Amino acid sequence: MRSIKLYPVKIIFAFLFIFCLLGTELTLFAKYTALNPAIFEKVVESEQLEEKTYTTLENYFQTRSNSTGIPASVYLTAIDKNNLKQGTLTSVSNAFDYVNQKSDDYQFTMDFTALENSITEFFSNYADENNFEKDDIYQQKVNSTIQEAEKEILFMTDTFKFSTIYENGWLAKAKNYMSIFNKISMLLIIITIIIFILLFTFCVKQITEILYWTGISGFISGLLLLLPCLYLKTTDYVSGFVIKDQQIFSAVVGYLHILTNQAILLSAMTLLIGALFLIIFGFLQKRKQD
Amino acid sequence: MTEKQSKNNIIWIFTGIFLLILCIAVSIAVLITPYEKAKSYLNIIFMDQNMRITPSSGLDGLVIKENEIETTPVSNNSEQQFYSEGEIIRPSFGEQYAILTCEDISLSVPVYWGSSPELLELGACQSSSSVVLGETGNVVIDAHVNTFFADLPKLETGNQVIIYTTYGIFTYEVAEQVTFANTNKKYVLPTETDQLTLYTCEAQVLGTSSTRIGFICNLVSKQFYNPVQANTGEGE
Repeated sequence: MRSIKLYPVKIIFAFLFIFCLLGTELTLFAKYTALNPAIFEKVVESEQLEEKTYTTLENYFQTRSNSTGIPASVYLTAIDKNNLKQGTLTSVSNAFDYVNQKSDDYQFTMDFTALENSITEFFSNYADENNFEKDDIYQQKVNSTIQEAEKEILFMTDTFKFSTIYENGWLAKAKNYMSIFNKISMLLIIITIIIFILLFTFCVKQITEILYWTGISGFISGLLLLLPCLYLKTTDYVSGFVIKDQQIFSAVVGYLHILTNQAILLSAMTLLIGALFLIIFGFLQKRKQD
Repeated sequence: MTEKQSKNNIIWIFTGIFLLILCIAVSIAVLITPYEKAKSYLNIIFMDQNMRITPSSGLDGLVIKENEIETTPVSNNSEQQFYSEGEIIRPSFGEQYAILTCEDISLSVPVYWGSSPELLELGACQSSSSVVLGETGNVVIDAHVNTFFADLPKLETGNQVIIYTTYGIFTYEVAEQVTFANTNKKYVLPTETDQLTLYTCEAQVLGTSSTRIGFICNLVSKQFYNPVQANTGEGE
């Protein structure tokens, strides 16, 4: 360490570099992992959410049949698991289209033609068998039954609850923050590069030192992210999620598990790259000393 | 290795440790306030840390308890001594704690404490926001019109409704029939006088109804099997 005068400056810049590196890691992680529709799609696939949604709907309509007199099969024969899966995926893509300003409004609907036909047919047959007049009241009853069923299916299929998030105005807030977030992300990358260049400039006379400062910065920033993630992973903290509805629990906990694993992977990679730089630096120092 | 080189190595190691401690300290200092703010929310959102309840879409998590309840009419039970005030045994959610009968319409229905779709499949449900039988206030019981309360609309003013529990027998008399919207909470709110409110959906051909048919019943008698336990004052 020949230039002892620059030592405190290098420490300050390394300190700044660590947090800029951490900030960049986190913003890129948020952008490409946490807010990536592909991750949500992966959760839908891996957790088989359509199966869980179907089971919940099955129980719901069976319970409802006691008070409505409409057999659950009227609804269930018209519900296709693939449609449920497609519905969940549509809710995800529509939400991200809205947040990423590709659409002006968030709307989520599904094709209910089969369900409408099934309910109408059941009511019609029932009315014919019991000699009920198919008047306005009858039609109102058919329509309200269809509306109630559609509302419930949409609610259950929207497993990530984007509709609720939208209705509470949080999706609109996310949309506003998204543009700011992208700017912050870019700014952090630029600052990180500038700090690295400055650190490099300070080390230009002892070029191997850049390996040390980069390595120690990567190692520490990786460790700062890795430690809390390992705590979440080893305690399985996210599985304590309080909502126990099968499909919601699987969607939320599955998503958080993927995020934790990805964050561990990212931080471990940063830590290992930092450690590798430190090893190379140590090796070069030893060779120089020999 | 010269002394200077050795000193340099110590400085490199010390610098790394110093930076690590500094960064951890700064991170804790910066994150402690937001963490404290978020802590209570996180504790609620992820409160089931022992994972006592498994995710489900059915009855899991609901403990249904059936009880043996004596339904011998008071007139046929001359050996039993009754008390006008007595010990009340508080039921737990999902526990069958009473049997509701009305001879005039041949009604005999198990009553569960708490209300949920699963319990409504098993009998009538008493709202846990109403008072336990024997306490002063409004006892609110409902059931599906297609199942347990199918005959409820046949009730008439003056009919007697007897509710048997494990701790006593409670007799009511139908005073009034009411019709109200499902959004109207007037008849299920607490009252200062002893009252039984029975209600069900308006019977329709198919589908749900937003109209409720209810019966307000006045208390005729309370007959407890056991007297109120005397307070021994222990632990005071």
